[in-house]
Amino acid sequence: MLEFRTRGYQGYAVKYSPFFDNRIAVAASANYGLVGNGRLYILELTPQGIQALKSYPTQDALYDVTHSEAHSFHVLTSSGDGSLRLYDSSLAPEFPIATFQEHSREAFSCSWNLTSKATFASSSWDGSVKIWNPERQQSLLTLPTHSCTYSTQWNPHTDGMLSAVCSDSHLRVWDLRTPASASNHLTMQIPIHSAPFSGGVGKLQPTFPPSEALTHDWNKYRSTIVATAGVDRIIRTFDIRQPKGPLQMLQGHGYAVRKVAWSPHLPDLLLSASYDMTCRVWTDGGDHGGQARELGSMGRHTEFATGVDWCLFGSEGWAASCGWDERVCVWDVRSFMHQ
Amino acid sequence: MPAHQRLDALAGHLTSAASNTPAPPSPGLKKILEKKEDDIVITYATRTPLTKARKGGLKDTPTEELLIHILRAVREKSGIDPNVVEDVCVGNVLTPGPGFHARSAVLAAGFPVSTAASVASRFCSSGLLAIQTIAGAIALGAIQVGIAVGCESMSSHQDIPPVLSDAITSHPVARDNLQPMGWTSENVARDFHVSREAQDRYAEMSHTRAERARSQGWSADEITPVTTRWVDPQTGEARTITVDQDDGIRPGTTYDRLSTIRPAFPHWGPTTTGGNASQVTDGAAAVLLMKRSTAEKLGQPIMAKYVTSTVVGLEPRIMGIGPSLAIPKVLGLTGLTREDVDLWEINEAFASMYVYCVEKLGLDVNKVNVRGGAIAIGHPLGCTGTRQVVTVLSELRRRKARVAVTSMCVGTGMGMAGVFVSEV
Repeated sequence: MLEFRTRGYQGYAVKYSPFFDNRIAVAASANYGLVGNGRLYILELTPQGIQALKSYPTQDALYDVTHSEAHSFHVLTSSGDGSLRLYDSSLAPEFPIATFQEHSREAFSCSWNLTSKATFASSSWDGSVKIWNPERQQSLLTLPTHSCTYSTQWNPHTDGMLSAVCSDSHLRVWDLRTPASASNHLTMQIPIHSAPFSGGVGKLQPTFPPSEALTHDWNKYRSTIVATAGVDRIIRTFDIRQPKGPLQMLQGHGYAVRKVAWSPHLPDLLLSASYDMTCRVWTDGGDHGGQARELGSMGRHTEFATGVDWCLFGSEGWAASCGWDERVCVWDVRSFMHQ
Repeated sequence: MPAHQRLDALAGHLTSAASNTPAPPSPGLKKILEKKEDDIVITYATRTPLTKARKGGLKDTPTEELLIHILRAVREKSGIDPNVVEDVCVGNVLTPGPGFHARSAVLAAGFPVSTAASVASRFCSSGLLAIQTIAGAIALGAIQVGIAVGCESMSSHQDIPPVLSDAITSHPVARDNLQPMGWTSENVARDFHVSREAQDRYAEMSHTRAERARSQGWSADEITPVTTRWVDPQTGEARTITVDQDDGIRPGTTYDRLSTIRPAFPHWGPTTTGGNASQVTDGAAAVLLMKRSTAEKLGQPIMAKYVTSTVVGLEPRIMGIGPSLAIPKVLGLTGLTREDVDLWEINEAFASMYVYCVEKLGLDVNKVNVRGGAIAIGHPLGCTGTRQVVTVLSELRRRKARVAVTSMCVGTGMGMAGVFVSEV
């Protein structure tokens, strides 16, 4: 395991570069993101351990980071002042090359379009998701959610399809290919707390109260599968072809789950990071109805684990995580799986 | 952006998680705690003392007189106008021609000719079946007020299976019904690996708890004393005595003493003894049932709510494990979880099935049969189903707890379970 200290700044998000196998971006904030500055780190894995290639100070806390899919040196952050900033790490100055300011409250997540690569999306506590083109100062589209939206993600399989989860316990899916109408391209709105789909007909179901959803991710191999998680500590998987209720419920985290990420290598593998200070690896059983279960747990963080991401390159299983203990850990998931 | 808003948002992620730690109240619990005017409620519940068959204080009190005692107790102590009681259902197993006893006793106990009577029998769960029968009739609007009774005089009638024809004795499963209950107990112990030690430990617990309930005066809350005729076995002289206590409890029973008792059925297995099986006993119990709206109209105090009850069937050769199937079924029907239930009553027909059911269902033994059970105070077959309800309602009241599940295994391979909510 490799470690890097983001001294004075508590980690909020970590993202591997889609272009370089040794580059990681970390969004971190002073004073636990409550008040004060943020800092963006561009880290490089070198034979001498993890080195900070660049670090950019920001006025307000940073909550999320993503790499451009179009330009190998571009990194986008979302910030507590509602702004999105684009940095070019190949250039010398410590200023962003573009700023996108429309959100009226904390911008909590950003996601680059994985299929067309020309646009990105952001979500905010102001109750909206916005779509942007990096070459334009104004957003292309605003999609209302009407509640704190903690996470937005593009579908990696279908151009123009994106999703968000909100504090109202719903998963929303938009399809921008649909004609503009009063529904604002909203094609699906799935209650995350609904009873599991597999319960069978006529059987009495346990029910779950609504709870804030904090994170979600699209499966990289099965184009209709989404994982969600949040305050109720349960990671759920949904098939958007069957939106009645979750397919699987993965339980084990002791506190709210802050981040889930599907493996880029295996269709059933999932990483999560939680306020219980662990990162866990799970299988949802795959398409063939295998057993959904926890496969392992990484407990190196000594404070809330807030971000986790898979490395896209090399041998499958490398991941990076960050947390409020000011630590970025790079580790091999396989070494933490139960034998 | 104000920092306190961010702090509140963050605290929300954590506090909801923390407050979720004990499972949120299940919707089933919420539902059964609701009070609706057509709920079936119990406004009075009582029982006679349970005394040893052929030795105890009720040995010379036949079925019909036990019935008269318990019905008179209900009539006098509940304050119900006997004219509004439309039906009495008597749970009874052993009395031949019990319909005669039931209807005659109703009249003799001071109810008018307009009060009808019937008999319900499902062996050890007859008392609960009687409650289910009366509650069902009230719920369907067939009657408005009824009494469910469980009653058995095991001094008067022995538990001997009838002689049945070849059609039964040649059937591979049906013929098991004619086997003695001790055989089924050893089958349970053998099939599910219930040790003699576990059985004796549970038997000791039953006696200890029953003795505590008696000495603390808790069981007196359940009991209406019976003044009856009693023949002194030494002199043959008949006297009138008042019986006010259960007499099957052996104070100071220890595991060491129980473990030295010889097996009762050595030809079937080594674990069941006279010390860890239920006793042969006389007794009766009754509950007065009506709709909540009727109770309010009549000014009857609402003691508890009858939620529902259900029955399952299983192989007769292991009839003892009936509660392990009936309880999950009734929890499923009501949407309750194990954690929602404050007290459990599982009839201790044999310690083998008692141990198995508690462990199989993963129950907290400190919530099961907290005033002891049939091993200590006896198992008058038809009475037990009602007696358990009387006992558990009294204990719920004492603890100010709410939800109880009562269950019993049933000879010939069945199980019954019911859910009750205390409202006092």
